[in-house]
Amino acid sequence: MVIEIVAVILLGLAGGLAVGSGFVAFLTVLGIIPRLTQLTKTGRMIQAYEWAVILGAVCSGWVDLRDHSLHMNISLIIILIGLFCGLFIGMLAAALTEVLNVIPILSKRIGLEQQLLTLLMAIVLGKIFGSLFQWLYFNHV
Amino acid sequence: MKQYWVSHTKWKRNQEMQEVKMMANTIYIRMRSRVETKKYNNITLSQTAQIIAPDQYFPGLPNLIVCELKKADNQLVVLDVMHVINIISVHFPDCEVQTIGPTQTIIEIIREKKITSIPLFLIVWLLLFTGSGLAILNFHEEVSMQIVHQKLYWIITGQENVKPLLLQIPYSFGIGMGMILFFNHIFKKRFNEEPSPLEIEMFNYQQDLDHYVAIKENNESVKRLDGD
Repeated sequence: MVIEIVAVILLGLAGGLAVGSGFVAFLTVLGIIPRLTQLTKTGRMIQAYEWAVILGAVCSGWVDLRDHSLHMNISLIIILIGLFCGLFIGMLAAALTEVLNVIPILSKRIGLEQQLLTLLMAIVLGKIFGSLFQWLYFNHV
Repeated sequence: MKQYWVSHTKWKRNQEMQEVKMMANTIYIRMRSRVETKKYNNITLSQTAQIIAPDQYFPGLPNLIVCELKKADNQLVVLDVMHVINIISVHFPDCEVQTIGPTQTIIEIIREKKITSIPLFLIVWLLLFTGSGLAILNFHEEVSMQIVHQKLYWIITGQENVKPLLLQIPYSFGIGMGMILFFNHIFKKRFNEEPSPLEIEMFNYQQDLDHYVAIKENNESVKRLDGD
């Protein structure tokens, strides 16, 4: 019995370690946090940002596993949370596009370096449209 | 003792004079990393390098022809600094050439003015638009975003909702805003003076291309001794 409990605890801890370090490594590769500090010029607060990421991951993981509800039926909070989730996913997507180096090569190959910004907006609008399409139509057909 | 000092200072002064003389015929050149030209002109030294030289070399030195572009040349020509030094020393045998910075210039001959064709541009635009839309659909399906949103909605409000659109519509616009934030652009307006990651990426890509061309197109940089 004790062995079982210890084994399960160890297994859970090991899984959590792997996922957590993988998540941090992923964020580091994409460089979203440096980008945000660069935009807001708050490089000195980087330690606080690290804690924000860690606490966010731990808290939402905990809340997700327990079946609790906050019963806050305020639409403004929901809109804000939705917006922040989207902002983060958008930054992830943009960083991923950048890491893959798609746009520089594509625009140079076909000689559209001047229209780079317009091509960027194509991707951005495509993401917004695709996402809205999914929630409003695709998932309910 | 005094005698010694006098002779020593004299010797030192002579040394300095000699150095000044040496300085007087030293030419400093710094090759530009890229030169773009539209015509098959002769390239002069001042076009391909920055020069600091004593007065006696002007105006001959800047107008020295260091490279003759021919119709048969490719779009890219690499001009090595050794070639330039060779030409300078033929014309000005008594000078000393000091080089600083890049050791070659890449000369790009722009054949014709690049005209961006509107249909091609539209196709690429639509390709990126639909492609990124599909990519976000696939991503949401893979990570079960709908279920996550439903659960998130329930955690906050305590109400079951199959279509938590109040959460999902701001989320969708957030994606676009996040991407713009990352690339530091709102259409033409920027948030601050720093270059965006995309501009740095473009610069790095051009730098890599130039590095490749500088070694690959330069006949002098690779030598095969066996001759096969």
